[in-house]
Amino acid sequence: MAEIVEADNYEAIITRIEHKSRKIESLLKQYKPVEALKTALEGSPPKTKDERCKSANWIVVHRAIMAIKDVDSLFSALDPEYYDILMKYLYRGLSTGDRPTCDQCLRIHEKLTEKAGLGCILRCLADTVNTV
Amino acid sequence: MAATSVHKFAQCITCHAWSPDLSMIALCPNNSEVHIYKLSEDKWERVHVLQKHDQIVSGIDWSYRSNKIVTVSHDRNSYVWNQEATGWVPTLVILRLNRAALCVQWSPKENKFAVGSGAKTVCICYYEQENNWWVSKLIRKKHDSSVTSIAWHPNNILLATTSTDGKCRVFSTFIKGVDAKDSGNSADTRFGEQIVQLDLCFCWAFGVRWSPSGNTLAYVGHNSMIYFVDEVGPSAAAQSVAIRDLPLRDVLFLSERMVVGVGFDCNPMVFVADESGLWSFLRFLDERKAASSSAKYGSQFSEAFEKFYGQSKFSASNNVEQSRGAHDNCTNCILPLAKQRKSSVTRFSTSGLDGKVVTWDLQNQEDLLDYL
Repeated sequence: MAEIVEADNYEAIITRIEHKSRKIESLLKQYKPVEALKTALEGSPPKTKDERCKSANWIVVHRAIMAIKDVDSLFSALDPEYYDILMKYLYRGLSTGDRPTCDQCLRIHEKLTEKAGLGCILRCLADTVNTV
Repeated sequence: MAATSVHKFAQCITCHAWSPDLSMIALCPNNSEVHIYKLSEDKWERVHVLQKHDQIVSGIDWSYRSNKIVTVSHDRNSYVWNQEATGWVPTLVILRLNRAALCVQWSPKENKFAVGSGAKTVCICYYEQENNWWVSKLIRKKHDSSVTSIAWHPNNILLATTSTDGKCRVFSTFIKGVDAKDSGNSADTRFGEQIVQLDLCFCWAFGVRWSPSGNTLAYVGHNSMIYFVDEVGPSAAAQSVAIRDLPLRDVLFLSERMVVGVGFDCNPMVFVADESGLWSFLRFLDERKAASSSAKYGSQFSEAFEKFYGQSKFSASNNVEQSRGAHDNCTNCILPLAKQRKSSVTRFSTSGLDGKVVTWDLQNQEDLLDYL
């Protein structure tokens, strides 16, 4: 899921994220928020050190997270392989301190914890190298 | 029930070890002493107290054949205890550490023991006949952080370590004059040479073990993952299995195809490999899990607070009696119960921060016996 990217290939990553962003917008217009979130999470760059890439991807993921209306139907459609990376982005969302973002992240966090267990939270908190 | 006996020895147990005939247990009740208990007429009776360390004893190992106890402590020293007519007589082993010793294990041949430490080093200690003295040889500058766990390969040469730098490493501990030249594939390995470094976990790693044959290595990370490594060497094949629940602290191979992990979840987890060698989580060993996972999610918050204040994990649940298992705090030590090293074991013991030692038997667990 998270592709291995060369550390110095930042421009390519940014271009890909921009491309992803356009795709997400069109998916959201078609009322496919879950597909949009999957697209946003795919190819997330946790392995790169570059904060610019991380922020660019966070903006895209944030857009998709905020578009989720029905959390229950999200988890009936989201495959378990996305759980760990989604949890990382939820914690990034919570760290912003922005009220609507935190509300939304907490709502998803509750359901995600039910689905994926405490291990998912531990994997997110314990990994200080591959941050998003 | 898989747990055959539960006995609370102390407030908290840092580690325990069994005598060769399994009639006695040595444990550290979270202080500088080692207590030896003997089972007589279904009652545990304290028969010896080993007092020599002046800080918490972090590791105990009791050798199968030579009946020696080795202890290590946060006071940076190690003692080898010999049973003589007057009791247990200690011999100081100077480890030459500047940080706490964290774990200890006798090698399979019992001519060496290894100590992991907070000084980013591993000590390999061996007995020098001419000086009547245990010598400590250090593996330095290989670890970037504390060595949390060590495991001897059955060939008596290879030693696996896990560290809080997240890596699992395998070293050669070949010592000239102690090890025979032809034991294992050690012909071209020098002492302290790193055979492989496994870089799978990005957080603290704990609890490493070899399978009985030495073909597979398992270790756990603080990120709720367990790692299985086959063919340790240049072409190592690794598998990682994510755990749904809290992380593990220690693991034990019951056979080539079955591993039990214990840790913060208080309930031993069983992992098995299918015919193709693919590892997966099978189930919990203790039966309470069904009750506690169906408990309301909201109560986890108050449970978390309780844990924070050091109370037992399940005391606040509404269905207390139902959900209480053998252990009710973090389990950090698991040992086989066997009178000699065997290819598979069905009995083992666990101890943890709740001060209990629990023995487990798989004899009546039909679904698990296929994997032995």
